[in-house]
Amino acid sequence: MQLASFIARRILQLIPTLLFILIVVFALVRLLPGDPASAMLGDRALDADVERINRELGLDRPLPVQFAVFARSVATGDLGDSITLKLPVTELIATRLPITILLTLMAALIAVVFAVPLAFVAATRRGRMADSAVRGAFQVGLSMPVFYLGLILLTVFGARLRWFPVGGYGDGFLEHLHHLFLPALTLALSLSAILMRNLRAAIIEVIDAEYVQFARAKGLRPRLVLLRHVLRNALISTVALFGLSIGTLLSGAVITETVFAIPGAGRLMVDSIYARDYPVVQGLTIALAVLVSLTFLLTDLVQAWLDPRVAR
Amino acid sequence: MKTLSIAALTAALFLGGLTDASAQDRGGVMTYGRYTDSLFLDPVLNDANVDIWILTNIYETLLNPTDDGLGLEPGLATEWALNEAGDTVTLKLRDGVRFSDGTAMTAEDVIWSLDRARNPDNGIWNFVLASVDSVSAPDPQTIELKLKYPDPTIFSALSVFNTAIMPKAAFEAMVGATDAEKAQEFAKKPIGTGPFMLDSWERGATMKLVKNPNYWDNGADGQPLPYLDGLTFEIIPDDATRILKLQAGDIDGAEFIPFARVAELQADPNVKMELFPGTRVWDVIINVRPELDGRPNPLSDEKVRQAMNYAANKEALVQVVTYGVGTPLSSFMSTTTPMHSGDGPLFPHDLDKAKALMAESGYPDGFKTSILTIAGNQDDLGISTALQQMWAAIGIELEIKQVDNASRTDQYRAGTFEMRTGGWTNDIADASQITSYFAYSPTIDALHSGWKNAEVDALFEASQKRWTRPSGRNSSRGSRKSSTRPGRPSRFMKRPIPWRLARM
Amino acid sequence: MSDTAAPRARMILPRPLIIGGAILLASVVVGLFPALFAPFDPNAFDYGALLQAPSWAHPMGTDNFGRDVLSRVIHAYTIDMQIAVFATIVPFVFGTIIGALVGYAGGWAEALFGRIVDAVITFPFLVLVIAIVSVLGPGLVNMYIAVGVVGWVFYARIIAAEIKVQKRLDYADAGRAMGYTHLRIIFRHLLPNAITPAIVYWMTDMALAILLGSSLGYLGLGAQPPAAEWGVQIADGKNFMATAWWISVFPGLAIVLTGLGFSLTGDGLAEVLRTKR
Repeated sequence: MQLASFIARRILQLIPTLLFILIVVFALVRLLPGDPASAMLGDRALDADVERINRELGLDRPLPVQFAVFARSVATGDLGDSITLKLPVTELIATRLPITILLTLMAALIAVVFAVPLAFVAATRRGRMADSAVRGAFQVGLSMPVFYLGLILLTVFGARLRWFPVGGYGDGFLEHLHHLFLPALTLALSLSAILMRNLRAAIIEVIDAEYVQFARAKGLRPRLVLLRHVLRNALISTVALFGLSIGTLLSGAVITETVFAIPGAGRLMVDSIYARDYPVVQGLTIALAVLVSLTFLLTDLVQAWLDPRVAR
Repeated sequence: MKTLSIAALTAALFLGGLTDASAQDRGGVMTYGRYTDSLFLDPVLNDANVDIWILTNIYETLLNPTDDGLGLEPGLATEWALNEAGDTVTLKLRDGVRFSDGTAMTAEDVIWSLDRARNPDNGIWNFVLASVDSVSAPDPQTIELKLKYPDPTIFSALSVFNTAIMPKAAFEAMVGATDAEKAQEFAKKPIGTGPFMLDSWERGATMKLVKNPNYWDNGADGQPLPYLDGLTFEIIPDDATRILKLQAGDIDGAEFIPFARVAELQADPNVKMELFPGTRVWDVIINVRPELDGRPNPLSDEKVRQAMNYAANKEALVQVVTYGVGTPLSSFMSTTTPMHSGDGPLFPHDLDKAKALMAESGYPDGFKTSILTIAGNQDDLGISTALQQMWAAIGIELEIKQVDNASRTDQYRAGTFEMRTGGWTNDIADASQITSYFAYSPTIDALHSGWKNAEVDALFEASQKRWTRPSGRNSSRGSRKSSTRPGRPSRFMKRPIPWRLARM
Repeated sequence: MSDTAAPRARMILPRPLIIGGAILLASVVVGLFPALFAPFDPNAFDYGALLQAPSWAHPMGTDNFGRDVLSRVIHAYTIDMQIAVFATIVPFVFGTIIGALVGYAGGWAEALFGRIVDAVITFPFLVLVIAIVSVLGPGLVNMYIAVGVVGWVFYARIIAAEIKVQKRLDYADAGRAMGYTHLRIIFRHLLPNAITPAIVYWMTDMALAILLGSSLGYLGLGAQPPAAEWGVQIADGKNFMATAWWISVFPGLAIVLTGLGFSLTGDGLAEVLRTKR
């Protein structure tokens, strides 16, 4: 089938990309000053201990050998053990990555909930006060640093008003949702701003389109027509944008997870870079690359399904 | 970092309701906010504070430090003695001690644990028992340590976390070919004699400890300790978030409270903020090597260093950085370290003298230098920013370089840094440990500063083989006042935080 | 507002461009001559005035060293505006050149470039920048390098796509027929017609650069003390949110305002350039 070969081709394309990323990351983490042993042992480390631990970790071997060992184990699905946490990297990814995925999905959902009605209002009242207000809000949303917004939401809605827990992740799915609301809101702001801009333009296009005029002339209730088109456009734009901004969302997640104390993959990545935990940095990079590539693939497919014009 | 104390930097916090609880109040789970998670719960093979602070709840040692950190009290051993020659230690084991899995602790467990702890291939803490030649049990309730040479720190060594007693049979039953592999398995579900045991652990998020039903000690009400049913540790890396959670009542206690927040929390009626004496020392390490990066190093000039010391207003630093919580140091060790001496700052603030010394030095027109601090650490930043201002007055332009910890450690160990912020807490309540790092050059080049003084080295070596007080130097780990000590959730004392600047 | 624009309105500048331009102009002036506007030395400690709330003497209060927050916010314009320009100019120029070459050449060069793009967008930008800054050491210059190493890809992608369209048009063929060199065709003829979207993106990118610069400053990896920088100031004040909110809140507002300036200008510029075409 055509779809199957399309997916297969995309996955094949992923392999050289992954290899390239792997080499870059492998080189980059080893360029970082300091090694895992001295990062772990800290200021009082004695030379003998540092050497012994690096030897135990196989870090005294030449780099090509290290890369070969690493590539071989990756090929067999084994990402190695974390140097600091002494756990299999696959296990760490399995517990941390879903949290980040949930966070970004919630952010996307919140972005849609905000953007759709606002874009609708702005587009139907083009050039008037409401439009200017919404577009102004959009510009502010784009200019707001994630860490700043997070800090303020945390202080106001967490500490002052106590509507939401102040950071953490909680136990059980409902608690997760409760804990992740403020961080997701923080992350959603810039996404919803971009979404709103695109939607507004799309809706205006629909309003001006001849077939809508035609539908109106035929006596169809204009709002109904509009709504259907708007919702469809909203979906397409959201899916497309989510695909495009997954990288930005993950970058935002790194900071959001730090500010809100969420044990997600973004924080694990930064912590592991600081700890020079090579296996985790490498493994997580692979996981993120696969996740992002799958997101691209998925958004392409969904878009094609929603809007046959994209498919070709 | 291989430092122990939660002290100073940290200062623990509790909600009023919890600390006011009378000794007989039982039950409940305490939730405590930590800045980072533990890594590896093995007493011998771990290498970080974040492990040690949890290990002391799960495992116990033969001896315990007293509350003031200056003496020793019974732990899993009830009596301890040294023979006349100073080369044999005898300990009597406590009756009826059981591990959390219900098995009894035997002399065999003790011998095996101490042998494992002193094995030079195991971890980085084996130096604690370096003087021990052999461990044996003349009878099932007695343990005998033969020493290679008289060791003044041997009793405090037996209160250090790595000499904790572990169950030999349960450990050896683990899968794995080597000690390290077995330890990795065992640490997933550790079995110890301590008041709590590990229930569940979600890495990077929460760790739950529950009460050990087999614990040997009783509380004030005659019932078995601990009072609490459990302890939950939540990992909250961001200081501000951790404090917000505390104020919101989401957690009962928190560690690593920035000094900037102490006054605010003391004023908060919902939070009980207590300070206790610790052994935390803050210092600025100066590289004194004559050349750095191929260029002459102005910091190798003793007059320059003296001038810097006089120009640095320690009172103001203590004020600005610790908001008045600390005190200036009178030597490199904290006043809470046994055998500490000195009663006033060695280099009281004196700008005129500083200027005069600079004029006499090889750099009368000043110079540019740099200090390495940890990125994002507000306390480090406060010290450095203040020093930048103070030293500008004597013509020294200080560049602040914020780096991540691993990068700083790298430059530190290589001896290529110019200056860096530093910190210390005692692992053993004895003057020897801090001296071996700060002054005795063979350990790590006197904090990798390149400073070397043959007389100091000789004096230190001599002191290590001689008992200064025949009864054994009073010693203990400074940090056993862990906030999670069973039944005593809030044993903290007012504590001056020692302040020290610029080693010479 | 192109959608309402009648043909005559083309001569009038769009409102976003006027507002955005005004904000940027003011930001540049303040950034160039901070000392004219700041009432105090931004780095002077005042132990007698620690953590003071906003007042007539200190309209934005003082921080934990007694430094005047307003003066620090003003002096930070110098650094943050510099970040906006320096962090983007190299990616802009370099990315444009590479993008033009790749788009014109096509074939294997384009395929290779496609893989690089894939690799860059699959890795969280911030994490990559943090890692590169950790390798090079903290500070603004190294931050520019780190951003440059990654950021050029986005410009190159935009330009390459445009050039691909342009090179199929008649005038490119005409150039080739006249025997011009490839480089001349690319840079004299194609690029001027392809560069518009990159310029619009540049405006947005400068706003993003300020966000990134302040994020790194917040993490301690950007501007180094005692330099006042908005992200650093927000980090300085985050421990005081409950007691001295002004230390963090005002620098944050400055970021939002400046970002607003850039994105309004970008929007306005897009409109002008679109109608011009």
